[in-house]
Amino acid sequence: MNAARGSLCLKNVTVAYQGIEALAEVSLTLKPGEAAALIGLSGSGKTTLLNTCNALIQPTNGAVSIDGKKFSEMSSQELRYARSRIGFIHQSLSLVPNLRVIQNVVSGRLGQRSFLGGARDLLFPSTNVVEKVYEVLDSVGIAEKIYERTDRLSGGQQQRVAIARALFQDPLILLADEPISSVDPVRAKATISLIREICKKKGLTLCVSLHNLDLAKTFFPRLIGLQDGRLIFDKATETVGANEINKLFNLPDGCIDFGPLTSKPSMLGKSLE
Amino acid sequence: MKDHLIQLYRARPKTNFVRLSLLVMALLISYTWIGGGFLSSNNSIIQRTENLERFVGELKPYELRGESFNIYSYLSWAKTMMAEKGWQAAETTLAISVAAIVLGGILGNLLAIPASRNFASNFNRDHLNLSALLLAGPARLLLIFLRTIPEYVWAFLLLSLIGPNAWPLVLALALHNAGIIGKLSAEVIENLPDQPQVSLHSTGASRLQIMLTAVLPAALARLLLFFFYRWETCVREATILGMLGIVSLGFWIQDARARNFYDEMIFFILLGALIVVIGDVISTLVRTHIRRIF
Amino acid sequence: MNRASSGQRRMVIITLAIAGVWAANALKLNPIDLVTNNTSIIYDFFSRALSPAMDYESDVPLGTKPLIVKTLSAAWQTILFAAAAMGISLIGGVLFGFLASSSLMIESARGTVKYITVTLYGLVRFLMALIRSIHELLWAVLFLVAFGISELSAVIALALPCTGILAKIFSELIDETSRSAAHAIRGGGGTPIQVYFFVLLPQTIPDLLAYSFYRFECLLRSSAVLGFFGYPTLGFYIAASFENLFYGEVWCYLYTLFLLVAIVDIWSNQIRAELKL
Repeated sequence: MNAARGSLCLKNVTVAYQGIEALAEVSLTLKPGEAAALIGLSGSGKTTLLNTCNALIQPTNGAVSIDGKKFSEMSSQELRYARSRIGFIHQSLSLVPNLRVIQNVVSGRLGQRSFLGGARDLLFPSTNVVEKVYEVLDSVGIAEKIYERTDRLSGGQQQRVAIARALFQDPLILLADEPISSVDPVRAKATISLIREICKKKGLTLCVSLHNLDLAKTFFPRLIGLQDGRLIFDKATETVGANEINKLFNLPDGCIDFGPLTSKPSMLGKSLE
Repeated sequence: MKDHLIQLYRARPKTNFVRLSLLVMALLISYTWIGGGFLSSNNSIIQRTENLERFVGELKPYELRGESFNIYSYLSWAKTMMAEKGWQAAETTLAISVAAIVLGGILGNLLAIPASRNFASNFNRDHLNLSALLLAGPARLLLIFLRTIPEYVWAFLLLSLIGPNAWPLVLALALHNAGIIGKLSAEVIENLPDQPQVSLHSTGASRLQIMLTAVLPAALARLLLFFFYRWETCVREATILGMLGIVSLGFWIQDARARNFYDEMIFFILLGALIVVIGDVISTLVRTHIRRIF
Repeated sequence: MNRASSGQRRMVIITLAIAGVWAANALKLNPIDLVTNNTSIIYDFFSRALSPAMDYESDVPLGTKPLIVKTLSAAWQTILFAAAAMGISLIGGVLFGFLASSSLMIESARGTVKYITVTLYGLVRFLMALIRSIHELLWAVLFLVAFGISELSAVIALALPCTGILAKIFSELIDETSRSAAHAIRGGGGTPIQVYFFVLLPQTIPDLLAYSFYRFECLLRSSAVLGFFGYPTLGFYIAASFENLFYGEVWCYLYTLFLLVAIVDIWSNQIRAELKL
């Protein structure tokens, strides 16, 4: 299986909450090292889709598999291992505010540690661990903040801590749910660019859900459009047409006239911010 | 990189005061257990076990001793106990707590008015003036003093000063709680948004008028929530104050103890626990209701 | 602030007033009873508030410790009893707090273990409710009768209700913590137990610390009151001096108690402020 480390496959995935379908018959495959942006209006099922990818949500129908192995067929040990190799950057950051940055980053690796090992990492981290945290924080540009209390950092810096925590898991797959919803537009671009760079360098599979169409088009070779839980399109960015975009965002045809790829920052991207 | 890390580690923000406090507390607690002599004892273990055995043996209701266990005979015993003293004791306990919290609430809020600095400085936050110092300072000191002296001590002192009626118990609870409610109330008044007060002041309204029209309505919800929360503790305290000799639950506990009627003693202690639990439930319900209507 | 709610608010106030009248009636509270007793005693007592005794008010045998020394040692005893009880309560409160926490005992458990944890959870909650609804002085009386007078049982009497309250507050703090970080770590492969101890628990520590210090303040007051039952804390000396009509000495002890509690109050406020930063 070594050849296909980090592949993610959804097959006919349906998720229903009390009869209402949040996802309907979604099938898609991400090859190891591939990068894709998930776009769609809020409520279109992006968060649900990402959450099925690390088994926080079990599909009502269909199956999700990592490297060819279905979540539903894994033992709890295997599931824990699989989850520990999937980094997830949440919209709400989900950090522990009153812990130091290093402790938050280290807690990303709890899935690979025993109870006591986890306690040691948090309270008395070995030099090895500290150096590794430093490296990861350095790669997101906030190495200086390693011993700060997390809630004293700015929103953008906390964002980076969340990214560092996901990277510290040493993941094969990185999922991000609206990672830029809490930072200003300039930082948003830098953040997406950073995530993309790191994944390229390490060869991680990446799937990011985004509101901002411009950023999605600038940084990702593949776009996946979701509407009301259904897959509308899933193809290379340059082949996505304006009418498909308009349809995705419920805009009348011909509303915005721009070429499929070469568009400058469009009004659409901004109006959806 | 290693040097840089060490540098960062040395410069990490530390909560020294908290650490020091924890250390002091830990040392104090360890000292009490190692050097405080609580673990040594003057009477022997055998003596103690005998004592305990006798006590446990006498927990069974006197009238039922020698009988085999029967839930109905216990219930009818409890019924007689309630009819003789229980209901009356429960009613007095509840009445003490209610009278005390109402009185304490009024007293506390009266004291909170001079104790809030924005009122004392005539709602002029820019110069906290002399009148604020002269008015708010002593008022706050009084509130703290009322709060730091325990209810039981107040009751003990007032009993001799006022005489053997229910007043000392009610006043004791009321004074202690006035201190607590007054402190909170003053904080609530100080933290209210300035705008209404300042604009009323510029129309020439007097301090008391401002208090009644602008300040109190806005603060009422929080104060009422706190009021009922304090009432819970009042009920709890009211179960014991009778021990000083005024007929209520605590009195019967003390009385049973003096006469070595341990069955009655445990009955009244458990009745007290029941009253406290009922008080908690009522208070929780009322507070939920208040949160809804305000 | 609509009309209906203002009517309901008025109802709350009116109900309170009625309750107050009922209580005053049931207790036969009559304002005249406040002053019928010898008012000069009241005056004597409160006038000494301005001049607390700095030395004994009667002749004492030669070699008796000065009043100040006696006061300080009583204060120290008060602290010792409170601190000893605090030690038990902290350990018990944390332990039973875990057992009374639904996010640990109910949400984190799986399979057959769950039957055990749910039973234990219910049992511990009941036990904690019981021990905190019996007043510490009643516990003291119970132990006094059961074991005879012993300082250890006094400490345990102080500690029991405090343990119950700490366990309740502690479990509530953890159960009400925001779950977003917990959710994230769960998704990264953390076990429920890891998440509980390394994600939920750390978030509650500042509040828990602040509350524990407040509880210590309460313990100090209760510890002083234990003196009325023969233990060597401040209450013992207050009772003795008051019964001998040495009002100046009483005020000396009262002010000492005031300082003691006020210092702990300031201390815990400072801790709260530092932790909130």
